[in-house]
Amino acid sequence: MTAPPLRWILAGCLFAVGCSGNEESYPSKEIKLIVQASPGGASDMVSRVMASLAEGHLNVPIVCEYKPGASGALAFSFVARRPSDGYTIGHAPVEIAIVRSLGYADIGPSDVSLICLVSKTAPALVVHPDSPWQSFDDFIAAAKAEPGNIVMANSGIGSIWHFNILLLEQGTGARFTHLPYGGSAPALVSVIGRHSDAAVAAVGEVISHVRAGSLRALAVFDAGRAGVMAEVPTTHELGYPIGAPAWSGFYGPAGMSAERVAMLADAFKTAFETTEWAEFCRELGMEAHYLGKEDFAAFALEQQRFFESRIPQLVRLENP
Amino acid sequence: MAEILAGLSAVLAWPVLGFLAIGVCLGAVFGALPGLTATMGVALLTPLTFWVSPEQGLAMLLGIYCGTIPSGGIPAILINVPGTPASIAASWDGYALTRKGQAGLALGINALASTTGQLTSIAFLAFLAFPIASFALRFGPAEYFGLTLLGVSLMAGVSGGHVLKGVLAGTLGLALALVGLDPMTAYPRYTFGMSEFLDGISFVPVMIGLFGLGEVLVQISDRQSAQVSAAAAIGRVLPRIADAKRMARATFSGAAVGTMVGAIPAAGGDIGAVIAWEQARRTSSDGDSFGKGSLSGLAASCSACNAAIGGGMTTMLTLGIPGDAVSAILIGALLIHGIQPGPLLFANNQAFVFSIVFLMIFASLLIMVIGILGAKPLAKVLSIPAPWLWAGIIVFGTVGAYALNNAVTDVWAMYAAGVAGFLFRKTQIPLGPLVLGLILGPLMESNLRRALILSRGDWWAMLTRPILLVFLAATLLSLLWPLVRARRGRAKRSQDTIPDA
Repeated sequence: MTAPPLRWILAGCLFAVGCSGNEESYPSKEIKLIVQASPGGASDMVSRVMASLAEGHLNVPIVCEYKPGASGALAFSFVARRPSDGYTIGHAPVEIAIVRSLGYADIGPSDVSLICLVSKTAPALVVHPDSPWQSFDDFIAAAKAEPGNIVMANSGIGSIWHFNILLLEQGTGARFTHLPYGGSAPALVSVIGRHSDAAVAAVGEVISHVRAGSLRALAVFDAGRAGVMAEVPTTHELGYPIGAPAWSGFYGPAGMSAERVAMLADAFKTAFETTEWAEFCRELGMEAHYLGKEDFAAFALEQQRFFESRIPQLVRLENP
Repeated sequence: MAEILAGLSAVLAWPVLGFLAIGVCLGAVFGALPGLTATMGVALLTPLTFWVSPEQGLAMLLGIYCGTIPSGGIPAILINVPGTPASIAASWDGYALTRKGQAGLALGINALASTTGQLTSIAFLAFLAFPIASFALRFGPAEYFGLTLLGVSLMAGVSGGHVLKGVLAGTLGLALALVGLDPMTAYPRYTFGMSEFLDGISFVPVMIGLFGLGEVLVQISDRQSAQVSAAAAIGRVLPRIADAKRMARATFSGAAVGTMVGAIPAAGGDIGAVIAWEQARRTSSDGDSFGKGSLSGLAASCSACNAAIGGGMTTMLTLGIPGDAVSAILIGALLIHGIQPGPLLFANNQAFVFSIVFLMIFASLLIMVIGILGAKPLAKVLSIPAPWLWAGIIVFGTVGAYALNNAVTDVWAMYAAGVAGFLFRKTQIPLGPLVLGLILGPLMESNLRRALILSRGDWWAMLTRPILLVFLAATLLSLLWPLVRARRGRAKRSQDTIPDA
């Protein structure tokens, strides 16, 4: 039941041959967008909103399919194995630059055709509002005074927000006791319930709790302030130029023709420029940020080098 | 009072009620098909609600949520395949009733107890939201460990008399739960180098295989067409008044247990139903009939897994934190509509909270009507000739296993679990403990290790937490209870024999 009947495969081949002779007819059928996470999360919402805004421009539907697992490695490998005809593309989160360093799958940004980047999300450091630490400096001073005394909840070892905690330790010399959870939501709950002292998670994930007064944000790990939390200082301002954002882009299998990549990038660019997209990013606490094919490729490769060089070092830091 | 009326009037509009009805019907379909869960239904339909008003969108999503869980009990009762993990406990007594030719009554109890559970938990949400939420927030790693330990100790209770075999199956479940990334260090365990195993054994395909395919294989090997014709007798749908009175206690205590478990983040209806079932069994005067078609057992589990909905919503609305996977998605949907769940919602927009309460009340009444009216036509499934039914279960099981993550590995996991389920049934190894181990294993392991990180490795320091102590006491009680009862039984028997002597 896994393999389609032979005559369908033959029909598919004939169809593909028919299409390849006629470049300008692309896209002539629905495009599948493979999302590396389960429905309902941030990756899914970004993919679906982008798909719905871009499909009008391409005149074919863009249909999201979900292949969650192994930090996205299953979806990246799946898309990379599809025909590079532009009818299967994928959502590229920051993990595409990380999974090889973690050993989950031998795949990275250089093994796929990158299309464009559409958003970025910075992390924020949060503590309980009743905690004694009013500022980032208070917090770091306390962590340095008693190394390991502050319990820092993270969204899972190897997750992007866990790396940011390790970067924080490396950049400031502070030491925490790490408490891993299976995602940002339970990690934040443990701070709200005062089972742990602090956590690092996406600005969009903490903003609702900060507004409700159930968490206090001490710093945003970015160069510029976050639009939804403009009152919170950044690590760069505070003298610690650290922070690795999460991001969302799109990619297809390696070897996609330049025209098809450009057509998809144009469609996503049109979607990016709508007020709906700006509104959506604001609601979710993300930064609308566009990078075209070349810029995205340069950025993603630089990210991959960053994680390749830092992950072994950071892991050593954690297990001295 | 003004807020209550404002909340009511906001939802008493035809478009809102229409979307609610659509949601309930879609939920009923999702729940009845194994592999399609409430989480998936709500997640997939969330974007459709971006273009309608918050009340309309929320009506549809709540309709799906309230519709899916009761309807998940339908395949559990009719063909022993839980439609969603929440209905696992419902299959123990529900399917036994079907085999006795009382499928209609089982479906009727499912409809009535489900709605009772939902309405009770909604009442908790409306009147006791903040006490429940602050209780839920007190659940740290040590408390979760206590809860899961209590859950695991119920293995003996769900073993159907084969305690040793039950413990064997439960240990196997716990062992299977070890597969995947270590929850604390992210080190891959038992993955054989395959990325497909990094996230562990997928639970829903295993459930479909163990219960669905396994049952089909057993029936095929037994040439059990006789069972189907016997079961084709549907019987009455609504319980007799006397039966309803006897079930009332199990139903309401199940609803209370389900609400509390549902309110605790990361614990949902599946765990709530098992705990409620076991609690009802232990406190019942007729505990031996549980698992063999007990009306009270079915009522307790149906009521509890549905009460978890109100519990999960309570945590979500009061604290802005998800009580389960579905409410996590609902938070995202509310944010898109510009509504911020959390304490401020109750302070600033109480009318909206009451709108949610009324939407859930309407949804749960609607699914009850659908459940009762649909019981007879649905039970006709049983008069389908056995080979067709078997083929249907295999097809739907395969599709459901694949649909969950679009992964072929899950389909193989489902088939492997099916063969295992067949062998287990043939050797009378109970499946309940295995499922308990698989559900509770990851929660129990990660929370024990988190608790030890927090206590700096000190086991005794954990024991200073009162909620944990309550769970440990309950665990001890649940392990010792069978001994106590056996002794009592002996005493009673010897009394009975006195006149003869």
